Amino acid sequence: MPHDVIMPALGMAQDTGKIVSWLKKAGDPVKAGEAIMEVETDKATMEVEAQADGFLSGISANAGDDVPVGQVVATISETAGETETGTSKTATETASAKREEQTPEVSGDDLPDGKSVIMPALGMAQDTGLIVTWRKAPGDAVSAGDVLLEVETDKSVMEVEAGHDGFVAAILAEAQEAVPVGSVIAIISANAPEKPVMRGMASASVPEPEATPQPAQNREAETESPTGAAKADRTRPGKQSMPAQKGGWILASPKARRLAHEQGLDLSRLVEEGHEQPFHVADLDTLRALPPALPAGQPPASLPLHLAARVPASGCDDFVRWFSQDTGDDLDPARLWLSFAAAALRQSVTGITESLIVGLERPDAERSSHRDPDLSLPEPESADAGMSPDLTLRDFSDSMLTDMRLGPSDQPVLTIVRDEDRFTVSLDFQPGDLGETEAIGILTGFAERLREPLHHIL
Amino acid sequence: MRKITLSKAVNEAIAEEMRRDPAVFVIGEDVAEAGTPFKVLSGLVEEFGTDRIIDTPIAEPGFMGIAVGAAMTGSRPIVDLMFGDFLYLVMDQLCNQAAKTHYMSGGKLSVPLVLRTNLGATRRSAAQHSQSLHALVAHIPGLKVAMPSSAYEAKGLMKTAIRDNNPVVIFEDKLMYNDKAPVPEEEYLIPFGEAAILREGRDISLIATSSMVQVALAAAEQLTREGISAEVIDPRTIVPLDEETILSSVRKTSRAIVIDEGHQSYGVTAEIASRISEKAFYHLDAPVQRMGAMDVPVPFSPALEDITVPTPETVADRARLAVRGDLFHAA
Amino acid sequence: MSAARKDKSNREDYLRMYRQMVRIRAFEDNANQLYLSAKMPGLTHMYSGQEAVAVGICEALTPDDKITSTHRGHGHCVAKGAEFKEMFCELLGKEEGYCRGKGGSMHIADQANGNLGANAIVGGSMGIATGAALSAKRLGKTDVTVCFFGDGATAQGLLYEVMNMAALWNLPVIYACENNGYSEYTRTDEIAAGSITARAEAFGIESHQVDGQDVLAVNKLATDLVARARKGEGPFFVELMTYRYHGHHVGDINRDYYRPKDEEADWKKNRDPITNFGKWLEAQKIVTADELVGINNEVKAEAEAAVAYAEKAPYPSVKEVDMHVFASNAA
Repeated sequence: MPHDVIMPALGMAQDTGKIVSWLKKAGDPVKAGEAIMEVETDKATMEVEAQADGFLSGISANAGDDVPVGQVVATISETAGETETGTSKTATETASAKREEQTPEVSGDDLPDGKSVIMPALGMAQDTGLIVTWRKAPGDAVSAGDVLLEVETDKSVMEVEAGHDGFVAAILAEAQEAVPVGSVIAIISANAPEKPVMRGMASASVPEPEATPQPAQNREAETESPTGAAKADRTRPGKQSMPAQKGGWILASPKARRLAHEQGLDLSRLVEEGHEQPFHVADLDTLRALPPALPAGQPPASLPLHLAARVPASGCDDFVRWFSQDTGDDLDPARLWLSFAAAALRQSVTGITESLIVGLERPDAERSSHRDPDLSLPEPESADAGMSPDLTLRDFSDSMLTDMRLGPSDQPVLTIVRDEDRFTVSLDFQPGDLGETEAIGILTGFAERLREPLHHIL
Repeated sequence: MRKITLSKAVNEAIAEEMRRDPAVFVIGEDVAEAGTPFKVLSGLVEEFGTDRIIDTPIAEPGFMGIAVGAAMTGSRPIVDLMFGDFLYLVMDQLCNQAAKTHYMSGGKLSVPLVLRTNLGATRRSAAQHSQSLHALVAHIPGLKVAMPSSAYEAKGLMKTAIRDNNPVVIFEDKLMYNDKAPVPEEEYLIPFGEAAILREGRDISLIATSSMVQVALAAAEQLTREGISAEVIDPRTIVPLDEETILSSVRKTSRAIVIDEGHQSYGVTAEIASRISEKAFYHLDAPVQRMGAMDVPVPFSPALEDITVPTPETVADRARLAVRGDLFHAA
Repeated sequence: MSAARKDKSNREDYLRMYRQMVRIRAFEDNANQLYLSAKMPGLTHMYSGQEAVAVGICEALTPDDKITSTHRGHGHCVAKGAEFKEMFCELLGKEEGYCRGKGGSMHIADQANGNLGANAIVGGSMGIATGAALSAKRLGKTDVTVCFFGDGATAQGLLYEVMNMAALWNLPVIYACENNGYSEYTRTDEIAAGSITARAEAFGIESHQVDGQDVLAVNKLATDLVARARKGEGPFFVELMTYRYHGHHVGDINRDYYRPKDEEADWKKNRDPITNFGKWLEAQKIVTADELVGINNEVKAEAEAAVAYAEKAPYPSVKEVDMHVFASNAA
């Protein structure tokens, strides 16, 4: 049985070996252990020994050839007659033929014929390479050693050579595109192309190189994904951006976000309402209590508008205390607030002459109406309950409520609630009843008075 | 129920298993008449003799390797490593040999041994006798890691470890050797991979191992007074890890702090926290917190040493921030 | 060889020793070819040249006796009774390999024949061998353990820890130091100060030096020491003077810088253990030259058939990747 002489794997990380010289000729008898050729690898030259006794034959690689490890370069036959020198191709031929087999021939209706240039794996753990620039243009003549393009990977830029003589028949990825390793990025044709192609990778599907033979243990996986497409899809760079969020990314806990999603709640409304981020599950209660959201893009025609302000309670408290001490009478703060509300309204809204009615709503009390309370402190004049007020004051400062936002009302509603040592005052109104400037003026005026009652009364 | 010390619990577990199975023996430095420096094994040599309670020279890699070979050939050795810090000395025998033998042999050989050692700072023992190195071995496939948090766990886990057909490293908290806990007279085993829920709660899960279990329980007690209800979970073994009990707790409470005495970086806290983040992310209302020992060699000075490990106060502080939604601003 | 070494007078024994040495050489020649032709994954270390050591010693052992082996372990494995098919399958990472393809060249274990496994850590198995001996002694078995290691491994501290304990406890272990003259890519006299046998003698261990190329001399000494170890006279230390034909590993071709070619040629020409034993067998009229050729051809055919079988054999299913990390505890 003839023994194959193979290019051995001699170094720790060696793909090919160069035959320096043959120490035996075809037909020579050899003995196992006898040196038959010299091979250069890893910058050292070594003798390769015959592994069997016999006659050297079928030499298929010449001195000077680079031969892939594992490739048969000769045979040791048992008899001298078996020698068949010269019938084999040279290693260079077989090696290049082999290489051609592995290099995908790109063809197709819209692509010129030629040798493919692929995005090489340049880094240790690289999935894609970024094309920095093309040094050649479609139609240019190139030699194998010419730099065709520059590729950036692992933070360094490298030049990639054309690898084939010919003409740039197609460029299939644009500068600044990140291209998966192994993708065909250019085609070099033997003859000058009639219609050189120039396009981006994103704009066309490019044939992937054939899958290289897999070790047997991967076969199972391979059959499950019949083409290389799945892998290519995974590594192909996408330009998917995050869907734009209304008002940017909202900080919220994962659970708050999930519950909001499940319950159809829009966290951006909490942002619009000025609540502090990040939102937690507890904030969803606040969100649920908000009035229904405006349909997107609709003008806020008939829906109530809402303004809110926070004011320290100390000014008002001091005033009430001072008043009681000074006069011996207890002052119901609500009377003060009726006065402030009326004054703020009068000051901000043009066209109000004299008679101005402010309604007062409190928990556990009947609604009352007061005429010109700003002009009749401390005991506001009652008004006919049947008369429609210009403004309603809701005093919930004694209640547990810390925020209110009720349905539409016929007139602007000024709500006052208290959270320990501060008041929150808010104004709800219909766009038809008040202008925005007027509304801001009312609320600001009221809040300023509430903060420094004495200043405004005196 | 009677109460015994953790030390006594370990001693009982080993004695019971040695009576049950003649293949079991103890090997290590000063294990026989000395009964170890912590006196955990006192009395065993009187019952079992020096043939089964084997004193060795001070040669940790040597007796560790001998135990591996004995375990591969029909014995069930219990290796006594005087301080957890000496793990570094036995790493090749433990991690290259014991841990990999079953796998490398395609299941033909196995290494049923127990390596019992300890962890825990604040004993004023300085940097080479105070480390908690369980994360090192928990990282190695093929090793099981048990971390008892009381006398009850120490006995039940030790008995299970001795009967396990794999190398098991069991870390005792050396500050707890004299702590008593209820331990039944009758025999029991604690299965590996079953966490204990030591306290049920609603607002936050405190997942704590070994020495940190008492810290977590004390923190939970403080929090209760403030209306914060903390659940305390002791995984008991970190390999295998009872992921499901931890995850279902966190899915309920939405918040978690993992507390462990190993160094915080790249440690057990990180592992458990990331599993929670991976598998219960959409149930989280606060970022998962890790609380481990500071990333410094353990200092000698009490003033310094005491601040390197989590305490009930620091755990409760962190829990408060989590429950109030203030971790974002504290971070 | 002198007639005095004809103690092993049984012709079958001689022929088995010859055949076993030829089998090792054939196995290695084929393994070398598999590697060079890029058919074998990974790396391998050739035992060729040292056959008389493994065969001389293992022929003195019963299947119940244990050995621990090294990264250069194919010879020990074959000598202890392993089959070519399972070994080549293991080298190629196939399911039918001794370790289901999980160990490879450097981790073949064959517990059915008492081979506790090769070890890719130089000196890594000294504890294991000593532990196996402790186990045998404690469990009342008569097994002897042989710990194979190279001259390079004498630089590892573990050896001295375990020899100390083996001597203290009179363990039935034989430390077999195969001195092939080279510690990886360095001459042994550059890495080992003083005498190698004196190292063991310092512990009071009876030590011998023997020509490791003379299978009868090795076998005679081993038979004697094994019998004495069985009676409780161990441990023993043997330095076997031998030579490795290949480089440290198969790719270590260009090795003029540490080893002259004429030295290699001299050992192969004049001191080959197989050739010389064959000549002796002929001279003693125990076999004819033709019979030896017949043995050589049979073994060669057996090896080639096993290689062909292994090349076609299936890889393990990917489902096996996380199998055997832990041993089952099922009763």
